Amino acid sequence: MAEINNNGNGLAVHVRNVSKTFGTGEARIQALKNVDFDARMGEMLMVVGPSGCGKTTLLSVIAGTLQFDGGDIEVFKTRLHELKQRDITEFRKRTVGFIFQQFNLIPTLSLMENVSVPLLINGVRRSAAEKKARELLEQLGLGGREKDLPTLLSGGQQQRVAIARALVHDPKLVICDEPTSALDKDTGAQIMELLREVARHRDRCVIVVTHDNRVFKYADRMTEMEDGRVARVHETYSEYKQDGGI
Amino acid sequence: MYRLALRMLLGDRAKYVMLVGGLTFASLLMTQQCAVFFGLLSWTTSHMRNMRASIWVVDPKVEQINEVKPMRDTDVNRVRTVTGVAYAVPLYTGIIQARIADGSFKPIEMVGLDATTLVGRPPRILSGRLEDLRLPNTVMIDELAVQRLSLNKNRPLRIGDTFEINDREARVIGICRTDRHFFGYPYVFTTYDEAMQFAPRTRKMLSIVLAEPAPGWSAAQTARQIEKETQLKAYTEAEFERSTIKWFFLNTGIPASFGTTILLGFIVGMAISGQTFYSFVLENLKHLGALKAMGASNGLLARMLLLQAMTVGMIGYGLGVGLTVLFGIAVLKKGQPPFLMPYQLPLFTLVVILLICAFAALLGIRKIYKLEPAVVFRG
Repeated sequence: MAEINNNGNGLAVHVRNVSKTFGTGEARIQALKNVDFDARMGEMLMVVGPSGCGKTTLLSVIAGTLQFDGGDIEVFKTRLHELKQRDITEFRKRTVGFIFQQFNLIPTLSLMENVSVPLLINGVRRSAAEKKARELLEQLGLGGREKDLPTLLSGGQQQRVAIARALVHDPKLVICDEPTSALDKDTGAQIMELLREVARHRDRCVIVVTHDNRVFKYADRMTEMEDGRVARVHETYSEYKQDGGI
Repeated sequence: MYRLALRMLLGDRAKYVMLVGGLTFASLLMTQQCAVFFGLLSWTTSHMRNMRASIWVVDPKVEQINEVKPMRDTDVNRVRTVTGVAYAVPLYTGIIQARIADGSFKPIEMVGLDATTLVGRPPRILSGRLEDLRLPNTVMIDELAVQRLSLNKNRPLRIGDTFEINDREARVIGICRTDRHFFGYPYVFTTYDEAMQFAPRTRKMLSIVLAEPAPGWSAAQTARQIEKETQLKAYTEAEFERSTIKWFFLNTGIPASFGTTILLGFIVGMAISGQTFYSFVLENLKHLGALKAMGASNGLLARMLLLQAMTVGMIGYGLGVGLTVLFGIAVLKKGQPPFLMPYQLPLFTLVVILLICAFAALLGIRKIYKLEPAVVFRG
């Protein structure tokens, strides 16, 4: 894989001049317009903004799940724009953990099987993968329920399983798409505490896309997007509020 | 991951049952209908297994074994004089009426063998001695004749019993086992001379001349020589069998009707499994997208789908062929409908079922290859 030297500046994600367009002709929509964006190691960065402003598209191109039209993206010194599709898949497999809005747990697999999926994709043996999955479920308060199916769990519990799945292979970058929007206030708060722990205690970067203003206070930094561009970057939640954020 | 692929498949009970059911049905329909068809074809050539000979000489217009165009008795001698013929004997075959003790008439397939050599004899004699056919008014009957010509089941026809053929008494001297014939009539063997007495008299009575090649001659060489020297038609066993089957293909609707059913089995299997598997993939698209986002390659996902499709295929195939075998065991005991399952038939079905599964998997794989992993972020 192509690598660059970030000179130890602590940058996890470095996005410059990235654009992305969907559709053609009259249906053409420019979702990202020359976006510049940075995320640091050890922080939980929130990307906020109204629906349709390009948050999820930005998240998708950073995670390597969507090809972009132009610009440069470096994630943990890997230049995504220089990689072939196969290498991008390899990059995602090793570097990125995903937490989705609707959890995306496979309903016919047990919690342990769901959590062990990223390890199995990485070629880890089943017994070792399940051992690690069991340990992580234990840490997240779901010990003893390894063999249950996800449908038996509450929304908050399912999101915890999704967090376990996102972390089980020790990814450096954790991508969260609206992780609390399907949860009530208290459960959402618990999940955010957990994600903050993930960002602080491990040498990684957590990027959360959300428009759930109940959880903004958990952000280390906030990036506001508007109409496909990064409108403002706030170093703290207080700064965001001072600037008129809600 | 492959284990998880199977768990995903088995976890969706409704789809799994639908897939296995569809493939079982397709497999059953294709194998069973083919087996019945092959059985029926084997019935059309059963004369050749019941009256074995290397060379069959018939009227030049005869294309198949069940067709009788009588020849002159002198034709036997003409064949005997051909270079390369070791010996040639006359044979009579024809459908005539037998009258049993209660006065009712039953059709029978009468076979008249050369009394000296008894060439064309039935292959398996269960009781009695074939040589006793040289006694006057005697017949050897097959098991179907025992069943059909007996007055009741509790008193089956046995050696020494009599019935009438064309107002002449026929005494049973033995019972043999034959392969069932396409027309479904029982075989009654007698000598050629006796058959001339039993059968209604016509100007020409000789049905077939059975011949054997002389040492150093192949059956095919001798057959060609007979044709050259007598202008009669001579077939080797294999040639006559092929010609008979070809005749049935060209002159009856049997292959077309069975072919349609077999094709229907294929289409139904393809449609049910293709559609069900595709909808299984569509329903799991979100999860497959998540796996793709997590780094599962297209190749890995394609192999997972293939494994799922092939698994239901093999289970459906096993059940379908198993049910066909049970059907076969049941009908072979009963004697009908016809049933013949050569080892190539289950292999053929296996290949077709695997093709259906590959097609079903391919529909899903195509979808997976086109799937952008970013789909998982779209709610």
